[in-house]
Amino acid sequence: MILSTKTKEAIKTALAMTIAYGIALSLDWDRPYWAGFAVAMVSLATVGQSMNKAALRMFGTLVAMVMSLTLIALFSQERWLFMLFLSAYMGFCCYMMSGSQRAYFWQVAAFVCVVIAMDAGADSVNAFQTAILRAQETGLGILVYTLVAIFLWPSRSTAAFTAAANDLAATQLQFYRACLDLARGKGSTQEAHRLSEQQVQHKTRFDQLLEAAETDSYEVWELRRPWRRYQQQAGELMHALERWRESFSEVHTLDLQRLLPGLDAFGAALDGRLAQIGELLAGQAPEPVPQVVDLTLDKDAMRSLSHFDQASVVVARAGMRHLEQVTSALFEAASEIKVPGKATALPDAPRAPSKLFVLDLDRLANVVRFVAILWLAWLAVIYVNDIPGGTGLVSMAGSIGIAIANMPQLPVSKLFVPVSTGVLFAAVLYIFIMPTLSSFIGLGVLIFAATFVICYLFADPRQMLGRAFGLAMFVTIASITNEQSYNFLSVANTAMMFPVIFMIFAISAYIPVSPRPQRAFLRLLGRFFRSSAYLMSAMRWDPPHPVTRLERWKKAFHAREVATLPAKLGTWAPHIDAATLSGTAPRQVQTLVTSLQSLTYRMQHLLEERDTPQAQFLVKELFEEFRAWRLGMQAVLQELADDPAGAQGSALRARLDSVLERLEEKIKSALNKTVEGQFSDQDAEEFYRLLGAYRGVSEALVDYARNADAIDWAPWHEERFA
Amino acid sequence: MLTPIPHEFAIGGVYVPPLLVASLFGALAALLTTKLLNRYRLSNYFFYPPLVSLALVILYTLCIGTFIIGI
Repeated sequence: MILSTKTKEAIKTALAMTIAYGIALSLDWDRPYWAGFAVAMVSLATVGQSMNKAALRMFGTLVAMVMSLTLIALFSQERWLFMLFLSAYMGFCCYMMSGSQRAYFWQVAAFVCVVIAMDAGADSVNAFQTAILRAQETGLGILVYTLVAIFLWPSRSTAAFTAAANDLAATQLQFYRACLDLARGKGSTQEAHRLSEQQVQHKTRFDQLLEAAETDSYEVWELRRPWRRYQQQAGELMHALERWRESFSEVHTLDLQRLLPGLDAFGAALDGRLAQIGELLAGQAPEPVPQVVDLTLDKDAMRSLSHFDQASVVVARAGMRHLEQVTSALFEAASEIKVPGKATALPDAPRAPSKLFVLDLDRLANVVRFVAILWLAWLAVIYVNDIPGGTGLVSMAGSIGIAIANMPQLPVSKLFVPVSTGVLFAAVLYIFIMPTLSSFIGLGVLIFAATFVICYLFADPRQMLGRAFGLAMFVTIASITNEQSYNFLSVANTAMMFPVIFMIFAISAYIPVSPRPQRAFLRLLGRFFRSSAYLMSAMRWDPPHPVTRLERWKKAFHAREVATLPAKLGTWAPHIDAATLSGTAPRQVQTLVTSLQSLTYRMQHLLEERDTPQAQFLVKELFEEFRAWRLGMQAVLQELADDPAGAQGSALRARLDSVLERLEEKIKSALNKTVEGQFSDQDAEEFYRLLGAYRGVSEALVDYARNADAIDWAPWHEERFA
Repeated sequence: MLTPIPHEFAIGGVYVPPLLVASLFGALAALLTTKLLNRYRLSNYFFYPPLVSLALVILYTLCIGTFIIGI
């Protein structure tokens, strides 16, 4: 009989759960369900993924153990100070969780601390025993699951990782081809957009599986440095392709093949290189690296263009040159992995310079919400007599709350069904079946069957919430111990604890600001344009003056906001209820987010170009024009910050055209004044790149305004009940 | 005016407190009210609907508890 993967995985988790309970009960350990929790939470699709999660859970538990004991030792007689420091520590973990690659470590480090602290009370002896018990039972659960996963139908990540690497290489090649077609005036923007999204998905999967494959595959572990370099270069290529694509809107009317005679040869060379990377990763013998043709500009053809068109061509060419460098580095990284003996030949990539620490407002908002959840639960325990769950309410609110606070898009109502189903299922087992059991054989069969059913029915990754709550409720309500007693009140109290917890979650979600997706979307839009306006104001051509630490920090903060907000808006967009927003289709919102991403790339490009030195006589001649242009854009961005539909696309287009025309004349007259040798080719390239960057931001702004015009914003501002 | 005598609800031998039953019905009534207010776009006339929802739950719970169930 051939079992499906779903069945095998469910059997593995159920078997590990049963064995973990069996060992904990035979050793007469108190609270054996903590071992069961560990099994339930670390079981994932492959050995590598499970082991990574298990390691994070174990280390998180150890940190939480030390932290909870420290807090109890320091504030055992000061409940307010105790809670103040506990919530500060948990808030820190919550902040770290949402921006870290080791999110699960921070999550465990937070909730295990509150579990130990609340379970132990202010009794130092009890606290020490509870903390040690928690750590040893977590270790037991992890050990048992790891052994089961290794010996029973081991499922390694290698095959899935190899497939993910091949998929990523193939998608990047296809995306490059789609972009090249766009550059030549052919191809479809929809297809390029689809491939861009696919590229992001494949990159995310590659990142996840690389970490798992490093753990469960010796071959990948041996080559982990080259693989990490490959990962970094693949990410660079993703951004380089996106930014290059953004530069096409200004050149699509130009005959690029005439302006860049080597374009076809260059395109074919890069195409060949990306195809070779795919072949290398697929295990085929490498061929020599194709020689790259230089992208020389046809000066005569360029002279026939306006200065702005010349600038656009220079920007597009710079993008292609950057692509050439990135693909070359990617090919080297792939060769290191697949060509024997080459892995040690290349030095490590230089360490990136340390960045200035800047706060992320959304992560900070998550922290505020999480700390509010903790305090509301704590105050309820102190001031409401006989509240269901007692101090367990704080533990449960903290454990679930940290996950909920980091997913603000998830409405509290989405938890009702998984929690109530889990409670009902566990209650039926606890009330009707468990009292009839008299030995571990019967109990073991029950644990196996219940775990198998939950894992089998909720095997899909999208059903993770149901699986987690199902297992957690079963383990919590069954409360299996050696001296088992049955009490209906314990089920009723656990069940009654959840309405209180949901109420706390709802209060923390709705006060002080509404979490409705359209409201959140408008808030983020406002922040995006405020930060853009600040960055625009920071680009002034002032006489050199010392930059203060505050100015650097503010610039870094707003640059980060502009870089991260389009992706955050993208996470809110699918949650917007289009049915309640007449005049807005989901596709329009997605297009708006894409146009904001484009604006981000253009802003980043402008920031980079703005820092390059420019020929002084041009700065002097064009100072007033550039200033007026910058102030104009700043004013538009400020208007958009107050009202996302505050600028009309057609009016902006007309304004931009008049600015371009005026500036074109001004540049011509400035260049006519130059004497021989005053304006070198290098000066020209740098100037055109800056000019192209300014125009790019303006065009992206016009594009955004056009997309925003198509949306009826009035219903977005209407108040509604959730 | 006579008000109902406070009493617990026995469901299958389990005694459920009257306040719990009142709050359950109060929440349901508030949910229905807010759905209707959304349906007829009257929600637009409230400054901050989440607070109104909370107030409705409390009002309905108190009314149902005092005049129907007795708490």
